[in-house]
Amino acid sequence: MADRKMITIEIDGKSVSVEKDTTILEAAQSIDVYIPALCNSELVEPYAACRLCIVEVNDGRKTKLVTSCNYPVRKHIRVYTSSETVLRNRKITLEMMLSRWPNVQVIKDLAKNAGIEKSRYQHPAVDLNPNACILCGLCMRVCEQGIWENIINFTNRGAVRAVRMPYDSEQPHCVGCGACAEICPTGAITMVDDPNQPYDAKMIRKAGMRITEEMIKYDEEQCDMRGVGTAHLVEIMDAYDLLPVMNYRYGKHEETPKISSDIFRKYFTKGKPDGCWLGCTMACAKAIENFELKTGPYKGERVLVDGPEYETLGGSSNMGIFDPYFVAEYNFYCDTYGLDTISFSTGTSFVMECYEAGVLDKEKTGGLELPFGAKDAALELLHQIGRGEGFGLIAGKGIRYMKKYFVENFGADPDFVFDIGMEAKGMEYSEYVTKESLAQQGGYGIALKGAQHDEAWLIFMDMVNKQIPTFEDKAEALHYFPMWRTWFSLCGLCKLPWNDVEPADNAETDEPAKVPAHVQGYCEFFEGVTGKPQTMDSLIRMSEKVYNFQRVFNLKMGFGRREHDAIPYRSAGPVTVEEYESRQERYDTQLREDAGIDPAGMSSEEKVAATRKHREAQYEHLLDAVYKRRGWTNNGVPTAAKLLELGVDFPDVIELVTKHGG
Amino acid sequence: MITVNGITLDWYEGKTVRDVIQEMNYLFPLLIARINGKLIPRNKYDSTEIPDKASVDIIHLMSGG
Repeated sequence: MADRKMITIEIDGKSVSVEKDTTILEAAQSIDVYIPALCNSELVEPYAACRLCIVEVNDGRKTKLVTSCNYPVRKHIRVYTSSETVLRNRKITLEMMLSRWPNVQVIKDLAKNAGIEKSRYQHPAVDLNPNACILCGLCMRVCEQGIWENIINFTNRGAVRAVRMPYDSEQPHCVGCGACAEICPTGAITMVDDPNQPYDAKMIRKAGMRITEEMIKYDEEQCDMRGVGTAHLVEIMDAYDLLPVMNYRYGKHEETPKISSDIFRKYFTKGKPDGCWLGCTMACAKAIENFELKTGPYKGERVLVDGPEYETLGGSSNMGIFDPYFVAEYNFYCDTYGLDTISFSTGTSFVMECYEAGVLDKEKTGGLELPFGAKDAALELLHQIGRGEGFGLIAGKGIRYMKKYFVENFGADPDFVFDIGMEAKGMEYSEYVTKESLAQQGGYGIALKGAQHDEAWLIFMDMVNKQIPTFEDKAEALHYFPMWRTWFSLCGLCKLPWNDVEPADNAETDEPAKVPAHVQGYCEFFEGVTGKPQTMDSLIRMSEKVYNFQRVFNLKMGFGRREHDAIPYRSAGPVTVEEYESRQERYDTQLREDAGIDPAGMSSEEKVAATRKHREAQYEHLLDAVYKRRGWTNNGVPTAAKLLELGVDFPDVIELVTKHGG
Repeated sequence: MITVNGITLDWYEGKTVRDVIQEMNYLFPLLIARINGKLIPRNKYDSTEIPDKASVDIIHLMSGG
């Protein structure tokens, strides 16, 4: 966003400097000069329907009446907001409005401010309703421009003009966001349907509307969630060397532009919000319509593909495949077979590396040639998994199973397959390269359900911003964010409106990474539903009880100890010489500066080993710090004291943790 | 010389916040820029020049699932 040219104008004798194309109304508001306006809102384009915002403009040659809401400043002008001509014209307009809607408060107030006690006119279609629609068009414009829907619009002309839904019938496309009711200045549109009888529906709607307003005003320049959804992260992750390529060996690839969000923008159903839930105005669930399948049981049929999201795209680069048609096809069939795109793509990336390393061959895969980039074979493997046949019967059981199977049946080197098999607690890694962020390695490794980033995504804080340099800093982040994100799960709420759009003043807060205003919004959601006021700390406390209880559950099921928070080494550093040498300058520098080892004269093999020794020790230190912060033993077991403090000290729970030293 | 998120970069007269963001290839949209601790609004990245020896923080927020 380039800085715009500044222009100085004069409003009622006051000088003000504004960016080119600022409207006169905005310029006046910036210096607290009042101009009445009924049909204007920062959420919609100027409309100039009510005509109340008229002002006189002198451009050095002539003076004319203009509507200030849609008059862009492009050169020096003098503006008169209360000249005799302006006041006379504005008074006529207000009197006409008052004659038609004499009981609407907003009009009565404006008329009173203009010194009108009674209108001189009599309107043939006078409407005595105090909540009458005054035809300002704010509702239908926020629906169309802000929400990207067209649920309501004007019908008829003249005295019978009205705002209606098509054919006066309920519209199934209405997402129920409430923006039209919120923006209506008279109360002509109200939300009446509270089927779940929340404690305070207005509180919920107000918190929701703040997100809607931010989406309307900032989404396009921020994350463009309504345009492309989370796919916008593909090119960003590539730029930061974080996009997994070829089983997380690398973080970027020259062919990434082929699967970037700009490519999918062309395929996604356009101009329509696509929310998972009614009322969501972030609406980031994109879809590709009319996609012709090239393989599998529905070959030749045209279908709707639900996606792809970032993880599905990152999964494709992880398999070394940079083909948007492949992405759409594997996305569709994973959904159709009930498979997770992350597990399939990360699992297949592992298979591909094993194939290239000679652990697998055509004979072992039942004829499938599966090096990186083998898209046809990858799709055939997907169909085999779906059918429960052939090599798919092995691959479909996941990386943890495959590692053991390959060692026991194919003579694979266990060290190698355990280093490159990207799973933790049996769950495949999602699609981020974590080698340069120790905190994120912990985010994946310590996560209760396995290697998923939805407990904590700390890579930018750690690797780029360098905001959490010490173990204690990382441990604090690995306390707060997993608890915070757990809270979304407790309540069945989506996390995306928390930090995929940002309030204008977020940067000015003490902890912008937490997006405090949005946390407050979630407090209001909770209070609006239950009637129980909340704070940021009380939400975290809710999660902490459940999170610790889940850890105890893991313990009861034979997991939940330090050994189960181990990660494959590929998550922490370069496994192979090839990987090391691809980023040699970075790794050499880190050896020198972080590990205190001079890499000069060392072979690449020696440097790989030295890096590994250092990074594995770092991870163990991190576990120590996180367990301490969470009130767990050094073996990762919640202590009885912690469980007592949290109020989850049930006798069988205490007995269990005590048995494990807690 | 200036530092950007702890990394040393060359300095030249007139180097702006935008220049630094481009040099670092910071594509992520949710950024917060501070020069010697002072917050720089996003609409001033093009016009805000960085003084020599400045400590610049380009804080990346988070997004995605």
